[in-house]
Amino acid sequence: MRIVRKGLIGIFVLVMASFLCGAASAAEPIKVGVVLPLTGSMAKFGEIERRSFEMALEEINAKGGVKGRKIELVFEDDTGKPDVGRSAVEKLISRDKVPVVTGGYSSAVVAAAAPVAHQLKVPFVICTGAADDVTEKGYEYVFRINPTASEYPEATKSFLKGVAKVKTAVILYENTQFGQSSSKAFEEDCKELGIQVLMKEGYSAGAIDFKPLLTNVKAKNPDLIYMVSYVLDASLLIRQAKELDINPKLFVGGAAGFTLPEFQMSAGPAAEYVFSATLWTPNLRDKDYPGAKKYFDNFRARYKSDTEYHGAEAYASMYVVADALKRTKSFTPKDVRDALAATNMKTAFGPVKFISYGKKTQQNKLPTYLVQWQDGKLETVWPKDVATKKALYPTPKWSARK
Amino acid sequence: MKKRLYPLILLAVLAGFPLVVEDNYYQHLMILFLMWVVIGSAWNMIAGYTGQVSFGDAAFFGSGAYAAGLLAHHLHVSAWWGMAIGGLAALAVGFPFGWICFRLRGAYFALATLALNEVLRHGTTIAESFTRGMLGIMIMPTFVSKVPYYYIALGMAVVSVLSVRLLIRSKPGYYFVSIREDQDAAESLGIDTHFYKMLSLAFAAFWTGMAGSLYMNYMGFIDPHVVFSLHDISIMAILVGIVGGVGTVYGPTVGAFIMVAVQEMFRSGFFGLFKFLAETTGSESVRALADVLTKGHVLGFGLLVVLVILVLPNGIVGDWDKIKKKVFRIHSPA
Repeated sequence: MRIVRKGLIGIFVLVMASFLCGAASAAEPIKVGVVLPLTGSMAKFGEIERRSFEMALEEINAKGGVKGRKIELVFEDDTGKPDVGRSAVEKLISRDKVPVVTGGYSSAVVAAAAPVAHQLKVPFVICTGAADDVTEKGYEYVFRINPTASEYPEATKSFLKGVAKVKTAVILYENTQFGQSSSKAFEEDCKELGIQVLMKEGYSAGAIDFKPLLTNVKAKNPDLIYMVSYVLDASLLIRQAKELDINPKLFVGGAAGFTLPEFQMSAGPAAEYVFSATLWTPNLRDKDYPGAKKYFDNFRARYKSDTEYHGAEAYASMYVVADALKRTKSFTPKDVRDALAATNMKTAFGPVKFISYGKKTQQNKLPTYLVQWQDGKLETVWPKDVATKKALYPTPKWSARK
Repeated sequence: MKKRLYPLILLAVLAGFPLVVEDNYYQHLMILFLMWVVIGSAWNMIAGYTGQVSFGDAAFFGSGAYAAGLLAHHLHVSAWWGMAIGGLAALAVGFPFGWICFRLRGAYFALATLALNEVLRHGTTIAESFTRGMLGIMIMPTFVSKVPYYYIALGMAVVSVLSVRLLIRSKPGYYFVSIREDQDAAESLGIDTHFYKMLSLAFAAFWTGMAGSLYMNYMGFIDPHVVFSLHDISIMAILVGIVGGVGTVYGPTVGAFIMVAVQEMFRSGFFGLFKFLAETTGSESVRALADVLTKGHVLGFGLLVVLVILVLPNGIVGDWDKIKKKVFRIHSPA
């Protein structure tokens, strides 16, 4: 039993040591806090974003950092849960004493963490969490780079107005904050366009069989199927739609899972012709999106996997934060906040400027795009002026495909 | 006599804690700990003392949280009013449920509690127009400082532990234990087992609901997946009970402290210890180990629980004498 005793003492010492080394603060580099889901069900996206943050960080530090000092990122895992995310942000602010926090992937985590930043008066630059009301509360210290969930279908809307004039639609969405708010926004868009919504139904994310749901969809025989799903659900939905021979004029994904390379890998040929809303593609014009293509190529060269709009958001967030740190009078959270509020720059994710409109404050406004899988590649098809390929519409029947 | 002093010393330490430690982060962890003391004690009453294992604590937790949240959202009153009705709302859920499902015993009852939670989770998700579904309910927390929350949580924890103590030393408490040991024998002695099981459930539901409304007020954000979570609430409540000691008054308190601390330790890579070691030694293997440990925190958490169940089947408080004997070599003068 002596071993057990020694072991206990050892653990005690370890724990104490960890407390102590946490207290010793680093001297030189400027710390920037990043909350991301590095484990748990959203880890896939957390990983893409972490890598993008690190890429941007290296580029910035290689060019001399800010004001002669290097930036250091302090990553905290929010595990995709709001309470954990909240404690992570609290830890960053009160223990690591970071003057600015960024990251924020899940909408629920962002919604729980934003009031903390607001109350502790440390700026929080949200890169992804899209729930509308986060920037509708008038939080002075909360900024958001990506558009809100309700704005994701903008390009889809104009495509439906200009090209695919459909009459009926079915909306399927995962029961998450993101799924619910984007599907609601699309339902309203449909009303505006005079499209009749035959069915709007949520499902639990990570379902293993969509056939009962899809059988209902088939009976309704809609012109358009709009789906808000993450990658596994997205590919399963499409594969099972093929099995059940459901033939709408177009399948549209509401961003999220439909733009990932994994979607195409897992759905295989069934991914062909599927449209998706997206916020970013690597082929956007350099005038507004400087470095978009370069970021995409560098990411692929370095990590041997593709990146997509989430990564671009993270990459751009790092630049926005660094830009504010360059312009700030001092490194107090208050001054950094003021510098952020004055942001007006162009990034790989597009022009960034935090403005107020409608109920929203300190929200960046960006156009959205429509992409389509063609020959295994994700091509931008709408709006026309940035299109890389012409949209293939209507979608051929499953039986008519090769 | 000395034994009776321990809880008082602990209480004094807890009462002084936020005055000494002003770090927000530790205060936050302590608030979580106190909240889990309440939930763990409640679970312990129904499962530990009465022997009706519940997998559905989240149902009561969520009811309390939603009572507070919906009140604030629809009537625009402070969510603190929810504290008054949170426990009652959970009671309102627990009462009809217990009435019907206490006809079931053992594992069948446990399964029914599981179902109750699922019903509520799906219900709140689907009833978008009333509950906002997955958009969740977001309120602005009243206080910037954590100290008020801390003392409210502390008050709740103290009252809940005291009420457990009082209740189990009263007649109903003995009835609870007799039901746990042998329901048929208890019945044959003239104990109205259905009534006393209901009473125990009411106690558990009330306190769990109270913890839920505290959560709403403190966190400022809830959605169905957060508060009706099987994994994060129901299972965590069971773990708090098991690790601390099932059927002991102070077990859940110890269990809550350990579980909250361990969860945070694994999540933050032992408070950055391994990262620090990796940086100072510059060794790649330490860095890799740190990476694995942080990434595998859920696994580590699970292994720890398995270990506790294997080595200390009665929990830390329940097996305290064993620990004293084997680890500290102190023999009780029994």
